[in-house]
This record gives sequence, C-alpha cells and structure tokens, in this order.
Amino acid sequence: MKVSLKNISLALSIVTFSTVVLTSCSDNNSTGWEFAPNMYNSRAYEPLTQWRKNIINADGKDMRSPVAGTISRANYQTSFLQDDSTVVNDLMVYNLPKDSIAVAEVTLKNPIPWSDKAEEEGKVLYERNCLHCHGEKGAGDGAVGKVYKGVPNYASDAYKNMNDGHIFHVITYGKGRMWSHASQVNPEERWKIVHYVHRLQLGN
Amino acid sequence: MIENNSSVVLQSEKVGILHYINMIRKFYKSILALSVAVSISIGYVAAQDSTSIASAAPAGGGDVAKGEGLFKNNCAQCHAVTAEVVVGPGLAGIEERRDYAWLKNWINNPMGVIGSGDKYANELYLKYNKTQMTAFAAFGDEEVKSILAYVKSASTPVATAPVAGAVATTPAETGGGTFINVILVALLVIMGLVLVALLGILQLLNRLSGADAGAADTSLSFGEKLQASFKNIAANKTVRSAIVWAFILLATKATFDGMYGIGVHQGYAPKQPIAFSHKLHAGEMKINCAYCHTGVYKGKQSGIPSANICMNCHNAIKRESPEIQKIYTAIETNKPIEWVRVHNLPDLAYFNHAQHTNVGGLECKNCHGEIEKMEVVQQRSSLTMGWCIDCHRKSEVNGKDNGYYAKLMEAHSAVSKGAMKVQDNGGLECAKCHY
Ligand code: HEC
Ligand code: HEC
Ligand code: HEC
Ligand code: HEC
Ligand code: HEC
Ligand code: HEC
Ligand code: HEC
Repeated sequence: MKVSLKNISLALSIVTFSTVVLTSCSDNNSTGWEFAPNMYNSRAYEPLTQWRKNIINADGKDMRSPVAGTISRANYQTSFLQDDSTVVNDLMVYNLPKDSIAVAEVTLKNPIPWSDKAEEEGKVLYERNCLHCHGEKGAGDGAVGKVYKGVPNYASDAYKNMNDGHIFHVITYGKGRMWSHASQVNPEERWKIVHYVHRLQLGN
Repeated sequence: MIENNSSVVLQSEKVGILHYINMIRKFYKSILALSVAVSISIGYVAAQDSTSIASAAPAGGGDVAKGEGLFKNNCAQCHAVTAEVVVGPGLAGIEERRDYAWLKNWINNPMGVIGSGDKYANELYLKYNKTQMTAFAAFGDEEVKSILAYVKSASTPVATAPVAGAVATTPAETGGGTFINVILVALLVIMGLVLVALLGILQLLNRLSGADAGAADTSLSFGEKLQASFKNIAANKTVRSAIVWAFILLATKATFDGMYGIGVHQGYAPKQPIAFSHKLHAGEMKINCAYCHTGVYKGKQSGIPSANICMNCHNAIKRESPEIQKIYTAIETNKPIEWVRVHNLPDLAYFNHAQHTNVGGLECKNCHGEIEKMEVVQQRSSLTMGWCIDCHRKSEVNGKDNGYYAKLMEAHSAVSKGAMKVQDNGGLECAKCHY
C-alpha cells in the first residue's frame, strides 16, 4: 500500500470524525448527537417539557393555571360500590374552608365503607405519603419526622380519638406544622388513608 | 582457682542483677495493667452511678416513671427537657417560671389561655411565630404533676463522670488503616523487583545484540539505538501497511459505535438548577418516589414535583441554605423551577408509567437504575426500541389479582404451556408504542 497524501488525509478525517462523535457522547451535560432533534424537542406542546418561548401565553409558558375557582372533576369520584353491591352516593367536592375543622368533625363520615381491601390500599398510600414523617407505626418517628420535628404519635392521648372528618380535613388543609397534602392525594385516596390512620390510632 | 571462683561469683552476681531488673519491669507492667483496669472499672461504675441517680431522683408529688411515659408520648415531639428549643421552648426550670395553676390551665387548653388575654402566654405565642400547642384537655392533676416531676428530674444536671475506658478502643480502630498500608508497601516492593528483573533482561538482551551488531554500535547511546531500531521497523513495508490497516479498522469501529449512539442519551446527567439530591431524599430520608412523582402509579407521566411539595418539608428544614432559598424565590416570583429534562423519548413513541408500575408491578430501578443512590440523576438505560422490545420478550404479564386479565390468561394457558409474556399480549405490535 502506498502512503500517499490522499490516504493520509482519509485516515485523518476518519479519526477526527470518530473522535468528534465519541467525545460528544461522553460529556454528561450533553445528550450527544440526535438523528432527528425535532422528535425530541418537539414543536407540539408536551407535558413537563418546553423548548421555546410560547408566543401566545403572556408569560411565555406553555403551562396555564386553571381558571380561579374551578375544580378538576376527573379527580372527584362521587359514588362508591359497597361489598353488598349497593352504591353510596357522596358529594366528594370538598368545600369546607380551612378554619372549619370543627364542622368537618361533626358533619363528615367516611363514604368508603371499611373493608380489608380499602384499609390495605390505605396502607400503601400511607406508606407513600405519610410514613417518612409519621413513621411506620404512626409513632411520629419517620426518618424525615426526626429532622422536621413536632410529629405526633397517633396512639397518644390527644390523638387517639381523632375521627374521620378531622383526619380528612388535616390531610386536605394541613394543621399547625403539617402542610396541606391535597395536591398529592385525591379525596378518594384520602378516605382510604383515614381507614389506615384509624388502625394506627389503636397503637401496635 | 581463686580467679576462677571469683569469675563465677561475678557471673552469678550479673545474673542476679538481670533477674532483679526483670522483676522490676514485670512489677511495673502489672502495676500499669492494674491501674488501667482500675480506672476503667471506676469509669464504668461512675457511669452506672450517674444513671441510677437519675432514675432514683425524688418525685415531687408525681410519679416520675409515669411522667416519663406521658412526656415521651405527648410532648417530646415539641419539647425537650433541657433548655433546647424544639418546636416549643425547652421545659427545663418551667416550674420556676410559671406556677402550677397556670401550667395546668395551659396544658389543658393553650388557646384558651392565650384567648383569655394572659400577657405571658400571648408574648410566648408571638415569640414562637403563632405555633399552636396541642390541647391536652383530658389531663387531670395526676398526669400534669407526673409530667412536671419527670421534667424536673430529667433536667437537673447530673455530674457526669469522665469515662476512662474510652481510650482502650482507639488502637483497634486504626488496625484497618495499617493493613492497607502493609499491602501498599508490599505492592511497591514487588513492583521494584519486577523493575530490577526487567532491567536485567534488558541488559542481557543488549549484551546479546551487541555480539552480532558489531563494535561500531557500542559507541551509540541507548536512545540512539532505540531510534535506529524504530527506523528499521518503520522502513518495513508489511509492518507499515499492517499499522495503517489496524488504524483504519479501529477508526471505522469507533465511527460505527458512535453512529449507533446517535439519538441514544444513555449516561446523560445534566446539572440541575438546584442541587437536589435523590441520594439524600430518596435514599437516606427514605421518602417514597411517589410522594414527589405523584403521577407515577396513576398516569402516563410520573411528573416532576412542583415547589409546594418541596415546601411541605422545607418550610422548616434548612430554610437558610442558599439552595433552599431558590425554592422560596421561585414561589415568591411565581416562576416555576426550570429543571433540565433527563429521560426523553422522541415524539413518535408512546410510553405509559402506570401500565408498567401499577399494572405490571415493575420497580423504578428496572428502568431507571438505582436513583436512590444518585446525587445527580443520570439516564442509565438506553431507552432505544430494542431495549423496550427486549424486556417485552422476557417479562411476564402480571395477572395477579387482576380480573381484567383472567380470561386472557385462561385462553393463553389452553394453547401454550409457558407463562404469558408481554409479547403474547401484543407487546411487540407497532401500534402499541407508535402513534
Ligand atoms: C412533612 C412531614 C409530614 C407529612 C409528610 C405528613 N405529616 Fe401529618 N403531621 C406532621 C406534623 C409536624 C404534625 C403536627 C402538627 C401540629 O400539631 O403542629 C402532623 C399532624 C398530623 C395529624 C394530627 C393533626 C392534629 O393536630 O389534630 C394527622 C391526622 C396527620 N398529621 C395525618 C397525616 C397524613 C394522613 C399524612 C399523609 C397523607 C401526613 N400526616 C403526612 C407532619 C407530616
Ligand atoms: C405541637 C407541638 C407541641 C406539643 C405536642 C406540646 N407543646 Fe407545649 N408548647 C408548644 C409551643 C409552640 C409552645 C410555645 C407557645 C405557643 O406558641 O403556643 C409551647 C409552650 C409550652 C409551655 C410554656 C413554656 C414556657 O416556657 O412558658 C409549657 C409548660 C408546655 N408547652 C408544656 C407542654 C406539655 C406538658 C406538653 C405535653 C403534654 C406539650 N407542651 C406538648 C408546642 C407543643
Ligand atoms: C423529594 C422529592 C423527590 C423524591 C422523593 C424523588 N424524586 Fe425523582 N425527582 C425529583 C425532582 C425535583 C426531579 C427533577 C430534578 C432532577 O432531575 O434531579 C426528579 C427527577 C427524577 C428523574 C429524572 C426525570 C427526568 O427529567 O427524566 C427520575 C427518573 C426520578 N426522579 C426518579 C425517582 C425515583 C425512582 C425516586 C424514588 C427512588 C425518586 N425519583 C424520588 C424529586 C424527587
Ligand atoms: C419529605 C421532606 C422533604 C421534601 C418533600 C423535600 N425535602 Fe429537601 N431535604 C429534606 C431533608 C430532611 C433534608 C436534609 C436536611 C439536613 O441535612 O439536615 C433536605 C435537604 C435538601 C437540600 C440540601 C440543602 C443543603 O444546603 O444541605 C436541598 C437542595 C433540597 N433538600 C432540595 C429540595 C427540593 C428542590 C425539594 C422539592 C422537589 C425538596 N428538597 C423536597 C426533606 C425534604
Ligand atoms: C418500564 C420502564 C420504566 C419504569 C418501570 C419506570 N420508568 Fe420512569 N420513565 C421511563 C421512560 C421510558 C421515561 C421517558 C418518558 C418520556 O420521555 O415520555 C421515564 C420518565 C420518567 C420521569 C420523567 C418525567 C416523566 O414523567 O416523563 C420520571 C420522574 C420517572 N420516569 C420516574 C419514575 C419512577 C418514580 C418510577 C417508579 C415508580 C419509574 N419512573 C418507573 C421508564 C420507566
Ligand atoms: C423492564 C421491562 C420493560 C421495559 C424496559 C419496557 N416495558 Fe413495556 N411492558 C412491560 C411489562 C411487564 C408490560 C405488561 C404490563 C401488564 O399489562 O401486566 C408492558 C406493557 C407495555 C405496554 C402495553 C402493552 C399492552 O398489552 O397493552 C406498552 C404500550 C409498553 N409496555 C410500552 C413500552 C415502551 C414504549 C417501552 C420503552 C420505552 C417499554 N414498554 C419498556 C415491561 C417493560
Ligand atoms: C415496545 C414498544 C415498541 C414497539 C412494539 C415498536 N416500537 Fe418502534 N420504537 C420504540 C421506541 C421507544 C422508539 C424510539 C427509540 C429511540 O429514541 O432511540 C422507536 C423507534 C422506531 C423507529 C425509529 C424512528 C426514528 O426516526 O428514529 C422506527 C422506524 C420504528 N420504531 C418502527 C417500528 C415498527 C415498524 C414497529 C412494529 C414492527 C415498532 N417500531 C414497534 C418503541 C416501540
């Protein structure tokens, strides 16, 4: 084989090409080469993603806040099938204001009838949303609870008698140092958690 | 004979002195050991003493043991028995600050006392940013007295004895370090030996090559010799073309590898606007993924938490940290935090989380790797079509407690022996993943 200028320049161009490709991939801050970038950063609106300024919305964001006072109906289931195949209807739209915990205590009753299954689902939801503060047994000893401080023991005297409405209201609006968890658990899930909190109030 | 005798005497005298010195050494050693043992046991006894003093402290009108139970269950999450502020003030010396009647009233109904216009209570309430204390209406005199008795006994400082035994553990701890040092030294020695052997071989080779290269070459230095031999090799045609070919092959392989990597974001770990650590939150603090990624069991998108979810904790935790202040700024200026997206499928593909996590029962780490160990989120899987298909060929459909699949499973087991894989359920149909 002859080592001509042509051969050398060919080899050189291959080498530079491949190093460019390779190095562009090994940088953690870059996605590397994309074959059709428009498919990744699309012109269509996508959830959780925005690549360019929105020219229609005044603040330049694709996201829009819901109109004040509107409620997303999709999250509000209003009837529940009971084990004996009867249906309980309940207006799940919760419209008591934040300071009405006393009203909630006397007017609200858990519309989801107790069953092993409902409590089991409540347990899963409790473990996802409450356990890190309130602890596995509800004793206020979760890993975050120790840093956050002031998390009570459900089984202690001041808390062992909390009723359905009280707990539902606390999850919805928070109370004292605990903040609202309404954006994380919808009403149906809240009522299932209430079943499980009642279990924890019994202690062990 | 006399001389001999005297020498013998001298020797025995020497032995005697040596023996004497030895005895003294032993004596000192045993004294040292004894003193160490004594000081350890003194420390131990002293430590035990101090605890026994604490538990036997006089009970002033209430039952300390009962009070301890009540306090730990009801008050400890907000109060310390020392002067340390937890949520509310430390309770050390509380009985000097307030009289019993006030305390009883307060514990039964703090908001009532504040509402009654009590000056002390109102000032305290303001000082603690209007944090409401839980009311313990059911507590009678007995409970309150027990708690106060416990607070008093636990807050009186007990003379803490110096712990002499603690020193004994230090040598054992450094043991691991010295072991590594030994290994390092041994490695160094081995490397030295190898170097010497190599040098020896080199010299031998030199001498052998010197024999047939002739006397002229001996005047050349080692470097010049090396240069000459390289020139010889480079002049050889076959060697030269072999090198060029190897180079071209390697470069082509690298190019193809690089081209297969186009559109694959594996390893992507961009820097985020806030130094948020999954290792800390999901790993050490054991916060469930779904607490922040609220949609992951419910919908297509698992979602990125909005600032109000961070605030559930950071309204109190580490407020002063500059990283946390960025969350506050985002809320105050009503601008969302602009996280950099990591995992991103092209628009032509459809992926749904709930189908995999809730229905399929897969864990996050099957696809995302061990997020709970990452400081910065990195894309660990390739997210290529081959990756999706591979898993659909291997994984079984999760039919447990799922009435929706019951008939399908039955039909499948009628015609086939193996478990139902995702591919048997249409997991390889183009339209399932492509719009
Ligand atoms: C960030 C930590 C945190 C999380 C997460 C959390 N809580 Fe709490 N919770 C608290 C604290 C702190 C209190 C004490 C509030 C006070 O009295 O100041 C509390 C109090 C309560 C109370 C008693 C309120 C009262 O004083 O009557 C209930 C009931 C409760 N939480 C239920 C829940 C449920 C259900 C969840 C899960 C959906 C949950 N919490 C998640 C921190 C948390
Ligand atoms: C939810 C947290 C919380 C719990 C639980 C709690 N406290 Fe308090 N406590 C406070 C706060 C906060 C204050 C300061 C006043 C205020 O802001 O209301 C306070 C004030 C006090 C004071 C007055 C302190 C002073 O320096 O004058 C006493 C006494 C007291 N608490 C006793 C108790 C006892 C006894 C219990 C248990 C039976 C208890 N507290 C449970 C939060 C709590
Ligand atoms: C305290 C809230 C929190 C918890 C708990 C949490 N995450 Fe995240 N996660 C975030 C935030 C905020 C981001 C965006 C910033 C980033 O990428 O680091 C994120 C990003 C991610 C991403 C990358 C998203 C993208 O852009 O592609 C993945 C994957 C992820 N989380 C998985 C998990 C898993 C798995 C767990 C449970 C082990 C978990 N997260 C727990 C808050 C949380
Ligand atoms: C359930 C409670 C919880 C939630 C929700 C939470 N964090 Fe944290 N965060 C913590 C705890 C606990 C620490 C550790 C504090 C410590 O080291 O003392 C922490 C530490 C941090 C730190 C390190 C602060 C420093 O200077 O050391 C950052 C940054 C942070 N969090 C950001 C966030 C962001 C952003 C979110 C929202 C996506 C968030 N956190 C949600 C509990 C939480
Ligand atoms: C079967 C594989 C798979 C499993 C299991 C999985 N993910 Fe994902 N995840 C993906 C893919 C693929 C994407 C990219 C989606 C896209 O771009 O549309 C993604 C994206 C994400 C994102 C970015 C935001 C979004 O919604 O697109 C987060 C956050 C996330 N996953 C969290 C989780 C958590 C938490 C779990 C566990 C409960 C989990 N994932 C389980 C494959 C998986
Ligand atoms: C870790 C294994 C795994 C990976 C990786 C994976 N899947 Fe799946 N996928 C499953 C399993 C298991 C099911 C079946 C769930 C069930 O119905 O029980 C499934 C089901 C599906 C379904 C529904 C199929 C049906 O029958 O309706 C779609 C669509 C899907 N996956 C798309 C994807 C896409 C797109 C990717 C790649 C981005 C992907 N999956 C990656 C395991 C995986
Ligand atoms: C399990 C889900 C799944 C199924 C089934 C599937 N694909 Fe894909 N396909 C994907 C994903 C995810 C990508 C994007 C891969 C990437 O970004 O690297 C993709 C990419 C592609 C691309 C490349 C597009 C481009 O521009 O890069 C083509 C072409 C394609 N698929 C064709 C098909 C055909 C034809 C079928 C049916 C035989 C099929 N796919 C079935 C998930 C799937």
